[in-house]
Amino acid sequence: MNINFWFLKGIFKGIKTEKFPKKAPLDIAPWSTALVGKGNVDCPVEAIKDGKWNFEKCIFCRRCLPEYAPNGDTAIYKVSGNDRTFKKSFHLFPLDSGACGACNVELHNIAAPQYDMTRLGIFFTNTPRHADAIVIMGVWTEGMGKVLERALEAMPGPKLVIAMGACAISGGIIGTGVTDKFNADVVIGGCPPNPYTILSALMKARGE
Amino acid sequence: MRYYKEGKPKGRFIGSTERYDIYPGIYRKKEERQEPEPHRKTEQEFVFSYGPASGMLESSEIDFYTPGEIINHVDVDYDVRMRKIGITGLTPADALLRIERINGFHAASHAICFLSAVEDAMGVSPPDNVLKNRILQIESERIRSNLLVVERMAQAAGFGVPVNQLSLLREKVSRIIGKHSGHRYFYGSNSLGGTVFEISSLAEEIGEVSDEFRDIFRSLLVSKLFINRLQNNGINMESDSIGPAARASGIMHDARMDSPDLPYGELDFKPVIKEESDAFGRFMVRSMEIGQSSDLIKKVKISNDELSENQVGSVNGKGMARIESPAGDIFYGIELKDGIISAIDHIFPSVKNLENFRKSMRGNIFTDFHFNWESYGIWISELGVVLE
Repeated sequence: MNINFWFLKGIFKGIKTEKFPKKAPLDIAPWSTALVGKGNVDCPVEAIKDGKWNFEKCIFCRRCLPEYAPNGDTAIYKVSGNDRTFKKSFHLFPLDSGACGACNVELHNIAAPQYDMTRLGIFFTNTPRHADAIVIMGVWTEGMGKVLERALEAMPGPKLVIAMGACAISGGIIGTGVTDKFNADVVIGGCPPNPYTILSALMKARGE
Repeated sequence: MRYYKEGKPKGRFIGSTERYDIYPGIYRKKEERQEPEPHRKTEQEFVFSYGPASGMLESSEIDFYTPGEIINHVDVDYDVRMRKIGITGLTPADALLRIERINGFHAASHAICFLSAVEDAMGVSPPDNVLKNRILQIESERIRSNLLVVERMAQAAGFGVPVNQLSLLREKVSRIIGKHSGHRYFYGSNSLGGTVFEISSLAEEIGEVSDEFRDIFRSLLVSKLFINRLQNNGINMESDSIGPAARASGIMHDARMDSPDLPYGELDFKPVIKEESDAFGRFMVRSMEIGQSSDLIKKVKISNDELSENQVGSVNGKGMARIESPAGDIFYGIELKDGIISAIDHIFPSVKNLENFRKSMRGNIFTDFHFNWESYGIWISELGVVLE
């Protein structure tokens, strides 16, 4: 009885999943997109240096206003290694190395009906043994550094390492980046990255 | 300091910082307390370790001491992902960037409490519009936080449809926050005496989410499969409980009632109180507070004028502030020397909630764990952090 009850509630709600990536993102918070502008500003994380903006360091604190402003472009990631093996099925093992919780929730959000990662063949797994990629969030911490090493050893090949968010990439404003200790195949910018950026980067990571 | 005075304890005990014991409006030198004896493993018990990478939202290592089914004791090790964040020696504006990232999901609560303490140290009061705007931020954040708690409890029961419907609503709230503040987690939305949170149509948008949630809540309430997992699970009898865990145990603890840092008094605010004391009570309080927060947002009438900013000059002073975050009291104490932070004290709600969670797990079984854990809304990011 209960199963039918929830099943019907699900049906009556209708389809809420958006057409992204075939169509443009519907709703983006500006301060999670690329910054454009001119000149030098007093950036607390040196994300703007010699008039150039570096998404790997930016924490989107708005200190650079009005010289720099977001332009709505969500493609703030870099893929230096991809693998087409994962094109139809891509299992992610999330690992919180020392995050504030925002990256954790944003990664969790790609499973929300608006994005529905499973329609794109992307899934979470709770064990590195079943993972195609490890998604590292947060700054490098000594305790989790050892856990990360063990997780990488436990993962079968081929495998990808993904550093998500300014903390994991560069340490942000909190500490040391995980990429100082481990090579990442994919880096996803943002503080935290928005779900559209995460999905785009994941698809690029599997060679799309 | 406008509100806090050094003196004899009076009223409920809020918690202890490194240096002080805090009560409503009162602080005193921290009293040495005897630490409870650590649990000693008996011959009948073995330790079942869960984590640190476990599929939970954050990393932590949880050890269950059990003779087979009943859990006798739980240890939670968050040192494994300990972050050290430097605050002293910084200007309040630079420190704020770090404070926002202590618990990103409750960034507005942390930022607003910290700024209120700094403003107290400076002896300045932000305009009424700014204070009310801050209420709107905290209540929006509370709705999203409570949606996550209910979603995670439904997920523990394997309820796919409500999990997705709650996740849909939570994402809607994130988008509303992103649209009105520019950032989905309020980063960069607050400053000394100022705020960036545009409020036109906010009440209507949040109201729609609250209405949609009410329908899911009613459906969950008639689901015996779900309710049976929550009732008598994690009974919390601690009189020093805070936040929704206290209010679910019939205790009227709410900083919105007894802290004057934000003008909740003008909104005829009364906390949601339930008597159940268990995970079901916490589920009820969290759910009912979604509608309550939506009503509070509707009641706040302000314009976007006078959302100005104060500059910190060469100020010396001491300030304290406390606000009700979605999980309970957050407290910050700040000392400024020539406009630079020379000392910081803090109380984060996850500390007390974790302590009471561990006590409430005694006598439960492992399958109760996820429901009980999620019902407390504990954030490891608030525990595994040292402010220096």
